[in-house]
Order: sequence, then C-alpha cells, then structure tokens
Amino acid sequence: MKTVMANRRWIKENPDLGTGPVPTETCTSPELFELERDRIFRRAWLSMGREEDLPEPGSYVVRDLAIANTSVLLVRGKDRRIRAFHNVCVHRGNRLVDEEKGLCKGRFVCRFHSWAYDTAGQLTWVSDEANFYDIEKSALGLKPIAADLWEGFIFINLNPHPSETLAEYMAGMVPQIHGYPFDQQRLLCRYRVEEKANWKVILDAQNEVYHLPFLHITYPDFCPLNEQKFSRIQKFTRFGRHTAYSTELNPDHQMTPVESIAINVNPRGGQVHPSMIGWFDFYTVFPNFCMLFLAGTYVTYNIWPIAVDRSIWEISMYQPATSKPSERFAQEYNRCRLRDLLQEDASNHEAIQASLNSGALSHFQLQDEEIQIRHFHKEVRRHIFGEENGATATNNNRDAVELGLK
Amino acid sequence: MNTQLPPGLSDLERFADWMLPTSVERNSKRRGSSMDEINALYNALLPRLEEILAYLDQFSLEEMPQDAQRLLFLSLSLAEVSIAVELFHEPKVTGGCDPARFVVTRDLNP
Repeated sequence: MKTVMANRRWIKENPDLGTGPVPTETCTSPELFELERDRIFRRAWLSMGREEDLPEPGSYVVRDLAIANTSVLLVRGKDRRIRAFHNVCVHRGNRLVDEEKGLCKGRFVCRFHSWAYDTAGQLTWVSDEANFYDIEKSALGLKPIAADLWEGFIFINLNPHPSETLAEYMAGMVPQIHGYPFDQQRLLCRYRVEEKANWKVILDAQNEVYHLPFLHITYPDFCPLNEQKFSRIQKFTRFGRHTAYSTELNPDHQMTPVESIAINVNPRGGQVHPSMIGWFDFYTVFPNFCMLFLAGTYVTYNIWPIAVDRSIWEISMYQPATSKPSERFAQEYNRCRLRDLLQEDASNHEAIQASLNSGALSHFQLQDEEIQIRHFHKEVRRHIFGEENGATATNNNRDAVELGLK
Repeated sequence: MNTQLPPGLSDLERFADWMLPTSVERNSKRRGSSMDEINALYNALLPRLEEILAYLDQFSLEEMPQDAQRLLFLSLSLAEVSIAVELFHEPKVTGGCDPARFVVTRDLNP
C-alpha cells in the first residue's frame, strides 16, 4: 500500500492551514450568508451540469438559483454553442420559460405579451412593435450570463465581468484530470435532497473519510485503516482554491456475496483511470461542486444554498454506457449501495445544523484527516472577509468588511 | 399481467411482484416488505444469479424479449434487497434519513 499510516502527516505539508479550531459562524449567521452570496456565489464559476444535458440545438434547461435570486436558462443554439441567460423577458420582466427542460424548436415566447427570442438569445419578435418608441430589437436580447465548458461540464459566472476565465479558474486541476473519459459515461440517475442545513455542513460531511468506520454500515472498511482501525487517506492535493483527497481501496475490504458477483461481471466498474490519484478521488471544486471518482465510475454533487440553514444537495451518478444486462445489474447494485450510504450521511446533516443553530458550538475541532475541511473553510473565509489568514478572523476585520458594504 | 420467465426459471415466477421496472419502485417495495419476504427473494435468486446474468447477456438491453426483461427486473430487485440482507439486516437504512427525501429527478431505465 502507498498509504502512510502515521499521524499528523498533512499539516507538515500544509503548515499554512494551521491547527486551531475552525469557527462555525459561517454556518449560522444570516449576515455572513449574504456575504457568501455576494462574494462567492455571484463571483465564482458555478457548475450547472453536463453538456450532454443539452444534446441537440434547441435543447434547454432552466435552473432556479436561489443563492443568486435568479433563474438561469441554459440553451444550445443552432451553432451548437451553449449559452446562459437570465430567464427574464426584457419587456417587463416576466419569467420567460417555465418548463424545467425541453427542446425549443423555434423561439422562446413570453406568454405575457408574446415577445419572442431565438436560441441565441436574440429578440426576434415584438408584438405591436410599431406602437413602441425607438425600440431597437437587435440591442434588446436576453440578458446574458457568462458560460463556458470545462471537460464537458457547463459552468456559469454571474459576475457580468468575471475576473478569471473558466480555464484560469480551473487551471490547477487540468493536468491531473485532463483525459478522464467523461464522454464515455452516462447519467444513471440524479437525486435531489432538500435539507435544513447550511451548504457547508453537507459538503463538510462528505469531505473526509474519518467517519466511515463509525457511521457507515454500508462501507465501514472501503478505505485503508491503521492498526487502531482509523481511516487514512492516501493523498491530499491542493489546486489553488480547489482540493482533492484520495484513498486506496482497502486490501482487506470484506466483500458481500452480491458485491463480489457484481464486481466479477463488471470489470470496467473497477478500472482506475490513469488520470486518477487513488482508487477513490474526491474533488471539491470551489465553492459548491464535488466530483467523486470511484474506480470506473464517477458521481457529482452540486450543493445549492437556499438560505443560511437550507440547501439542496443534488447527487448525479454516472456509469460507463452499456448495453450488457450483467453490467446493468452491477451498476444498479452500485447505485443502491451508494444511495443508502448517502442516506446514512444525510441523517446527520439536519442534526448538526440544529446544534449549530443553538449557539452551543462556536468552533469545530478538526484532526489531520480533516485537513480538507480546514482548507475549505479557510477559502470561504478568505473570499468573504478578504483575509489572507482566513482561519483566524478578527471581529475588527469583519466589522470593517461589513461597514464597507453599507 | 404476464409473469412468465424464460424456460427453466418458472419457479421464480412466484416473485412476480418484484418484477418492477424502476429503481424507485424496487426501493419502495424493499421498504414495504418484511425481512422474511426479502430473504425469500434473496435466497432463491442468489445461488442462480451468475446463471441468470449469463442468460441475460445473450441479449442487449435495447432488444430483450419480454420474459428476459422481467428476469432482468427481478435481478435488479435482488441488487436492491441484497443491501438489506447483507449489510443492514433490516429493510430500511439503519440510522438513515427519511428515504422519501431522496427525490429522483433523472433516471435511466433499462
């Protein structure tokens, strides 16, 4: 095994992350939630799904983003380019498209006064146009949102003038992930889980494997354990604001009878791609997108804040495309087991939030195997407070930021 | 409803109510069943699972005869209940959240 079992390994490589407790206030404060809205979600590149979600010209998806108080229309144009717009008719602001997804064969027509737009967002029809004053249709298209693709994932940026391109935003991760065969995988299923929990409470719960031997009946031993039966990751990698933690498959993992048949009939499901670091890689793409590579399959999370204590956890499971019934069986087995594992996780999220809301806990205590969480909270605080030393915010510094907003 | 299975497997037709086409239905059936009912399905199918999958692999998912498709659905129910039998020893996810909170918004059915 490549995994080093020693204690306190990651702090040695990452002394800047510190060892102190991490404040819980960003999980409970409505004021800090507003700062996250403005300084993280309105500025960062946000993952909105896969380009395969929009298979042909005219394919569209509507996503309501509570965190940005907007509804986003993603559409593939006749030129096959994917564009994003505010889902708002420019006449008087009616919501343009109601359906969650579909195929627009001609134009998007507002049902209020029949203004119409093509799939590139151009205003093509104004009813009773001659009765308006000085109206210039070519200057009145749908309000665009910056959109771009990275490895087939669609990202948007709600800043009208993003400070970085998507390529720059993702740059650090490219050498690692480039070449992963995303296009050979297909979406098996997607779950939407609405939870009374801050978005970071949900993300943190996934961003470590310390809890595995304790919480999970489904997979207590899938990553290597030391002599005391505590989990150890193989590697923690930083890519600027993004991170990955990786584990090997525990050579002592006890397979169940059906699990071993599922693995035998589906060898592709166990194949680790050369772009992977371990057998299991968990990427946190700042702020709210996670990619989990589990040998030959991958899963994504989009964790959407609704309010400081409410979020939507969206889980998408991808598996290699197949026409083979035995592989279908194995993929269904993987799906059921992972779904149940995530239901074990979800049982904690609302309990944690309720505890944090009580005010009983001002700080989280984090160990070396939770360094990913330490990094993530430091990034959140750096973005909202503009501090270099995000883990040790002072109240003075925060008041200054808040005053600056007023 | 036709519950016929391919030749040689007619004894499994007694599990017709597990021949469910979607993951949501299979999960719901698992949660609504007793461990005795779940164990009966598991114990009958597990010893023949490899044989069943080899039989199904004569076909592609896109072009399966109806009886083979029912057999596939039955085997997918085994995938579902095996977790109850092999891991939780009860139908539900022990200590899990309310499963109704996991709302399926996309599903690729066979």
